[in-house]
Amino acid sequence: MAVLGGLENFDKNLLKSDALHQYILETSVYPREHEQLKALRETSEKHIMGIMSLPPEEGQLLNMLIKVLSAKKTLEIGVFTGYSLLATALALPRDGKITAIDIDKSYYEIGLPFIQKAGVENKIKFIESEAMPVLDKMLQEVNDDVLYDFAFVDADKNNYAKYHERLIKLVKVGGIIAYDNTLWFGSVAEVDPSFPKEALEMREFLLKHNKFLASDTRIEISQISIGDGLTICHRVL
Amino acid sequence: MASNTETQNGEQGRHQEVGHKSLLQSDALYQYILDTSVYPREPEAMKELREITAKHPWNLMTTSADEGQFLNMLLKLINAKNTMEIGVYTGYSLLATALALPDDGKILAMDINRENYELGLPVIQKAGLAHKIDFREGPALPVLDQMIEDGKYHGTFDFVFVDADKDNYLNYHKRLLELVKVGGVIGYDNTLWNGSVVAPPDAPLRKYVRYYRDFVLELNKALAADPRVEICQLPVGDGITLCRRIK
Repeated sequence: MAVLGGLENFDKNLLKSDALHQYILETSVYPREHEQLKALRETSEKHIMGIMSLPPEEGQLLNMLIKVLSAKKTLEIGVFTGYSLLATALALPRDGKITAIDIDKSYYEIGLPFIQKAGVENKIKFIESEAMPVLDKMLQEVNDDVLYDFAFVDADKNNYAKYHERLIKLVKVGGIIAYDNTLWFGSVAEVDPSFPKEALEMREFLLKHNKFLASDTRIEISQISIGDGLTICHRVL
Repeated sequence: MASNTETQNGEQGRHQEVGHKSLLQSDALYQYILDTSVYPREPEAMKELREITAKHPWNLMTTSADEGQFLNMLLKLINAKNTMEIGVYTGYSLLATALALPDDGKILAMDINRENYELGLPVIQKAGLAHKIDFREGPALPVLDQMIEDGKYHGTFDFVFVDADKDNYLNYHKRLLELVKVGGVIGYDNTLWNGSVVAPPDAPLRKYVRYYRDFVLELNKALAADPRVEICQLPVGDGITLCRRIK
């Protein structure tokens, strides 16, 4: 994602204080964080685009969602160094499978050693590609037996709407599609004057996407103020 | 939860609409979530119950609309059929639950105050959902102890929502872990206690906030260390901690 110019200086914390955010992390998240997730996180934090990595409290939520869904087959669009991918892989049962798509494999390779050490590499099929053509190909082959239980989208915001039209057919009724960053540093409500221009462009897409999801009767939604905003969509039709 | 008696009339009106202060960086952000993702989807009955509750003097106790929406979704995700609620007030989360359960779903709902429940009951009845609810007036601990002694309720609940007296949460937890099934979920409300969990020692807190804060801090530590559950502490509403029983 080339959008960072300046965003890396913005705090992704949507809560009313850093202290509160830190409290949640230290009390409920870090004590439970798998050691390979921790190691992956610490390595990602050193990366110049480290802000793209999934916040660990969100990884904990992903784990909970996957387990209560009894998910087995999942899809991930946007991998970066693989925090959400590893969190997902750890949550899935032994025969669980994840198809993970990202345009840049070199980031994934930063996280891969931790995924291997966690013993879950065999659950992952990584595809280096733009997501759209992969999804379109899946749609050609789709039937009820191959639908996904869960899809996690943490990628190019300007394509969220287009991903949605494909994912709504690839995820089963009763399954979940989750979109990350839907509160976009809080800018959906108020724009900080120093907010980078490129990020403002993405904001337009997110405002539109949020409105669309709220009106889409094929899903029920819940927009959680965790991380940078996660909208959980439960497919009902 | 902090009250808003210090604010002026206009702000107080807005606060009432929001319900109570959120944990987020700004009221504007919280309002955005409500206006964009919550209210357009809120079932008519829930809206009606929320508006009735807003007029009640203790309305700060109510479950917020975003939390109700999340609970409703969670219950559907876990295919809940048999649930329990400790702490009902006027019944917003109870209604959210009843809407999520199938027609033969059941909720054991307990509160020391039947009067408040009866404020919301007409809405629940109008929605055709009252048959799912077994309301018991009185403290919850004796009921839980009775069920445990009885022996046939172990592992029979899919989901339990606890939104009650914080100084008893750990006492509830001990019993609920037997009553909820393996794989079932317990949700504890107010675990971020209006952000007071991180208030400095000299912060001006209302007496009851300060009093219960110690229990909330203790609860959070205990849940994080409990090997029988996997947890997830969400900054939804006043903070919900979901606990999934794993053994």
